Amino acid sequence: MDQRPAAPQGQSPVPPGAPGGPAAHAGHMSGEHATPPAGGNPTTSRVSVISESAPRPGPPQDASAEEYRWHSYAMRPAGQPDAVRFIDIHKSFGRTHVLRGLNMALPEGMVSMILGPSGTGKSVCIKHMVGLLYPDSGDILVHGRSVPDMPDSELFEMRKRFGLLFQDGALFGSMNLYDNVAFPLRQHTEKGEDEIEEIVMRRLTEVGLADARWKMPNELSGGMRKRAGFARALVLEPDILLFDEPDSGLDPVRTALLGELILRIHREMMEEAKRKRREHLPTFCVVTHDIMSARRVADYINVLWKGRIVEAGPADEMLSSDNPFIRQFLSGESHGPLTMD
Amino acid sequence: MNDLLLTPRGWIEAWGQIVRFAARMIAEVASLRVMRFFGEALRQAGILIVSSTLVIWGLVFIIGLECGIEGAYFTYGEGTPAYSGVFAAWCDLRELVPLVFGYMMAAKVGTGIVAEIGSMRISDEIDALEVMGISAMRFLCATRLLAALIVLPFVYLCSIAAGFFASYLAVVQQIGYVSSGGFFLIFWQFQNPPDVLYSLIKAMAMAIVIVIVGCYYGYTASGGPVGVGTATAKSMVLNLVSVHLIGMLGTQLFWGANPRAPIGG
Repeated sequence: MDQRPAAPQGQSPVPPGAPGGPAAHAGHMSGEHATPPAGGNPTTSRVSVISESAPRPGPPQDASAEEYRWHSYAMRPAGQPDAVRFIDIHKSFGRTHVLRGLNMALPEGMVSMILGPSGTGKSVCIKHMVGLLYPDSGDILVHGRSVPDMPDSELFEMRKRFGLLFQDGALFGSMNLYDNVAFPLRQHTEKGEDEIEEIVMRRLTEVGLADARWKMPNELSGGMRKRAGFARALVLEPDILLFDEPDSGLDPVRTALLGELILRIHREMMEEAKRKRREHLPTFCVVTHDIMSARRVADYINVLWKGRIVEAGPADEMLSSDNPFIRQFLSGESHGPLTMD
Repeated sequence: MNDLLLTPRGWIEAWGQIVRFAARMIAEVASLRVMRFFGEALRQAGILIVSSTLVIWGLVFIIGLECGIEGAYFTYGEGTPAYSGVFAAWCDLRELVPLVFGYMMAAKVGTGIVAEIGSMRISDEIDALEVMGISAMRFLCATRLLAALIVLPFVYLCSIAAGFFASYLAVVQQIGYVSSGGFFLIFWQFQNPPDVLYSLIKAMAMAIVIVIVGCYYGYTASGGPVGVGTATAKSMVLNLVSVHLIGMLGTQLFWGANPRAPIGG
């Protein structure tokens, strides 16, 4: 029931100099393939003889500069075009300001991670990408198309290119596992039951649930429900696959196995996309606060705190970042800028 | 003063949201967009038949017995036992069968819808539907409304038959102050086919409101299991008030100015 913001079409709400904005784009976003901001002109970037960095954005209206002192806003290039891009997103729920000028990108063909302390708006980011929530201001581009500006019919079509694994799998309680996974195929394709069975069984085998196909969701463990949700998210072969805290409630071994599964599926989908010369390479985005998952799985890491990106970049660069906040968070130490407050 | 205005303003806002939600649901059915999920509508119709009809008929049967007993003794006390059929005709057809049908619909079907859709909301199943590119409003709400429109007229007509049969049993077989022929003579004089139609309109209006209210409170549930419980309670209150309002308005509209009966004077 969210109201869409009345953002002027074709005009970027990004202030010049902000990350993702016209001036910062060339240096901070995802390399030379990065999609220009809506309304921006990629051919008119200035050539300067003076090394000039983009001015640092000020803190949100009701926050102090001290609160955002660790936000360097650096977005190191990934060398890939952006599959999804957040441009100066603000979102509040009542008096709680969750996203406070978020600029973020998910590069195509990579496993990206959105990391951050609990309650920083990571899941809210996912809901914005698929149009389940709309920003109070700002824009979200999916393959260059503005999600808040899409009419319902286009939005539903766009969502078919997404797969989303919810925290608890979000399996339909009235259907068994097989029917849950077959559901998107039956609703969106003209495939016969034989072909559907072949696809469903292949996906269920991939996630190790072929033998449990006749079980109801309430007969499955938390880990099984997640894997089942993963299988269901895969059946339509989406361009963008989102994982909302896939490791929550899992023991460390199963978390590691799920991470391996995500990597293996991504690798297979990449090979298939290249073989079939798909327009877009498969993009995975994992939302988590589990550092071990990030170290194992991520190609690209966005660290989110207080509604803004602290820093973003390729995983190896982020893991060796000098930023005290990033260092503390990615090493899981108790001493550092992040406290219980 | 501003605080005093907050509560009625909240009611008006909630009322506006329900009306807007109802308009969307009805538009999905009226425009036949819901036919894309006709299979789901049939499944919901099956659930309605299997899980609710016997309970509704059972309760209506009991009310029919009560109407018959009260009517038989009252008319006997007034020296007109032959007129006990009037009670069966009026009490059953015009008032109590629609009301009891509405009560059971609110208690069994309405709360069931809130609980089911509300649980789907808090467990992200509705979001999962939307992310798959499926309109949750159409798949969950419009299909239930279509199922109600398909099934409930027949369920209600059978309810009327159950109420009449129960009254006949009480008046003629149990108490026996009037013969079977005498009972039916008066019984048929005090009703005609339009009365059945009006009664059906009352009951279907109640059923449609109950399904819409149930879908609304389920679809907008939030706050975890407690939120679903609160939404269920709210829907029950609103549905019971709506059943009585529709019952009163229906009686005023259909029989208020003209009793449609052979009453002289």
